[in-house]
Amino acid sequence: MLSKKSILDADSLSLEDIKLILSNADSFLEISRRDVKKVPTLRGKTVINMFFEPSTRTRTSFEIAAKRLSADIINFSPLTSSLKKGESIIDTLKTILSMKVDLIVIRHSDSGTVKMVDRFVDIPVINAGDGKYQHPTQALLDLYTIKKRFGKFEGLKVDIVGDFLDSRVARSDMNLFEKMGMDVTIVSPTMFLPEDFSGMKVKHCIDDVIEDADIVYMLRMQFERQDRKFYPSVMEYNRFLTMNMDRLGKMKPGSIVMHPGPVNRGIEITDEVMDTSGELAEKIVIEEQVTFGVAVRMAILYLILG
Amino acid sequence: MNKNERKNVLVKSGRVIDPEKGKEFISDIYIKDGILAEMGENIKAKGKELTEIDARGCIVCPGFVDMHVHLRDPGFEDEETIETGTLAAVKGGITTVACMPNTSPPIDSESMVKYILEKSQSTACRVLPVAAMTRGLKGREITDMGLLAEAGAVGFSDDGRCIGDSRLMYEVMRYSTQFGLTLVLHEEDYSISRGGLINEGHYSSMLGLDGISSLSDDVIIARDIILAGRSRAKIHITHVSTRGGVEMIKKAREGGLDITCDVTPHHLFFNDSYLVSFNTNLKVKPPIRSEEDRLALIEGIKGGVIDAIASDHAPHLDTEKNTTFRLAGFGTIGLETLFAAAFSKLCGEEKMSLPGFISLITTSPAKILGIDAGKIEVGKTANIAVIDTEAEEEIKREGFISKSKNSAFIGQKLMGKIVCTISKGKLVYRSERH
Repeated sequence: MLSKKSILDADSLSLEDIKLILSNADSFLEISRRDVKKVPTLRGKTVINMFFEPSTRTRTSFEIAAKRLSADIINFSPLTSSLKKGESIIDTLKTILSMKVDLIVIRHSDSGTVKMVDRFVDIPVINAGDGKYQHPTQALLDLYTIKKRFGKFEGLKVDIVGDFLDSRVARSDMNLFEKMGMDVTIVSPTMFLPEDFSGMKVKHCIDDVIEDADIVYMLRMQFERQDRKFYPSVMEYNRFLTMNMDRLGKMKPGSIVMHPGPVNRGIEITDEVMDTSGELAEKIVIEEQVTFGVAVRMAILYLILG
Repeated sequence: MNKNERKNVLVKSGRVIDPEKGKEFISDIYIKDGILAEMGENIKAKGKELTEIDARGCIVCPGFVDMHVHLRDPGFEDEETIETGTLAAVKGGITTVACMPNTSPPIDSESMVKYILEKSQSTACRVLPVAAMTRGLKGREITDMGLLAEAGAVGFSDDGRCIGDSRLMYEVMRYSTQFGLTLVLHEEDYSISRGGLINEGHYSSMLGLDGISSLSDDVIIARDIILAGRSRAKIHITHVSTRGGVEMIKKAREGGLDITCDVTPHHLFFNDSYLVSFNTNLKVKPPIRSEEDRLALIEGIKGGVIDAIASDHAPHLDTEKNTTFRLAGFGTIGLETLFAAAFSKLCGEEKMSLPGFISLITTSPAKILGIDAGKIEVGKTANIAVIDTEAEEEIKREGFISKSKNSAFIGQKLMGKIVCTISKGKLVYRSERH
């Protein structure tokens, strides 16, 4: 059992919760590798995916996770819903609740929306990303990916590179990474940092960290979430922040490159790195993150509803 | 350039001013193969390839650093080019100029920085490009400041324009701290200055010319002091013109802010009473201010609040100046009169000490830009100006070698004449009488 009924942010996950989720993920990973990828664990439970913002991997990941556990999952799409007809989000929720669902997975473009929903409903709520605030299941699958590669967390040097300020992934990751005893540095230009970053470990150029890093976590450039663009250009980004072959080659043995996806090729990561097939290719764990994402979300659904 | 450039040079018996150490002493200076080889009394040097300069009664100081120059190249080569501008500079004793980015295209890309640096390889003096803070100087998007810094930009400025968007200005300041370069700020609130022609005050109302209130400078200086206080950026207020500006900068510095400023010779020399002539060469931005403001600028220099003197050399074609006052362009040329105009006021009238004055056009601007210049050092490439401070000269239009002739000082009698200039180790300028 988890310490709370809902997963709203990284901060409220206890160390015990995290360990429990990660250890359960192992057995669910095994299910995903079977020929018949289904167990009856959550038969008769109803999960609703409420995605108010576009998503491919997270929505699909939750859907597959629920189905492999035999839960019924409904995809609520705001584009075809009564929200289009002017129904408020609260009224929409009331309608959904009246249908007696067991769990809500929710994504929304406004920070804090998931916490608002959680206050309003009695059933468990899982935050699948809200605005620039939190994306706790991404952080959990990131932890799981790191665990599978390194077998430990304590003392690992992780550098989170890119638009820190606009990233819900970075906010959740930083919290969990530090909770697990990792040494976190943010590599970000001033416009992607809080006004006062004196309490954080900060670098402005990826070259300053690349040789010592165990994990280089590339953030997605959130052009869609920046209301005003202060960063100069892709050329400038390439010079100071992009993962390219030269930088990849400077990373130490065993180190990895992560990205929450979807990758803006040529911005966060070059085509050459994305498509590399040499021995450096095993440093790129982006696809593993997606695979492990299903197992971690199965573990979460199981621990909440099972 | 003449054939003297390859020769070794012996400057005899000049009064050497070392602004860095604040000293003056009589000495010879021997320049061999472009290097300042020896300094001392009675240096013996011989050879066919030797040029001797009799500097008795003259001062010998480091070549000047002018941190605010418009070379108009590329895009406006009919007004000035990198070549003609640098020839004008060395005639004024200047051996390093920082050129402003409002060219066409503007210096807002790596390739433009490289263009300036390459083109100035063979010029009479050193040219250091100041790159734009915003793309196209439009005040909307930040330039590739990191790439520009790496390409060799010596600072950043949108000179001639002022970023009106305060949040953008703040982000420019924050970002500049990553690269440690100075922001050279032209302070103007367009909502106040719009349509104005001269300083708003007694003379603007008397002459029927629309005014530019000193509030235009002061409002933005206040804003940028606040923004710099938060961002910890290195900011430099260029061509400060108002009493209010000087007072705010003084206070900000006392409060620990990394802020510097410069003033132009024309703002030190003139007040707005001169505008009764409707002389369009006195139409400049910021405008020539009131006598009260001018005195505040003089006090600012004496009190050490104003760090540097810079020409804001702004060439304009005759067609832009030989027109009505309203239609005339803003700006005066200033490279060739930088020393004489400032010297006449500050040392002539105000009796300022020579080393103190010289530091305002040598070591101090070099320090603001973080460059190695403005010093007299044995073993280094020679950059030296020899000046006859007793010579008085009436400034004439015909005397200018700058491609444009729009000088506010035409008709003024100024003290101090550049005898010769050694730049990049070569004798690049020698006045007719020497």
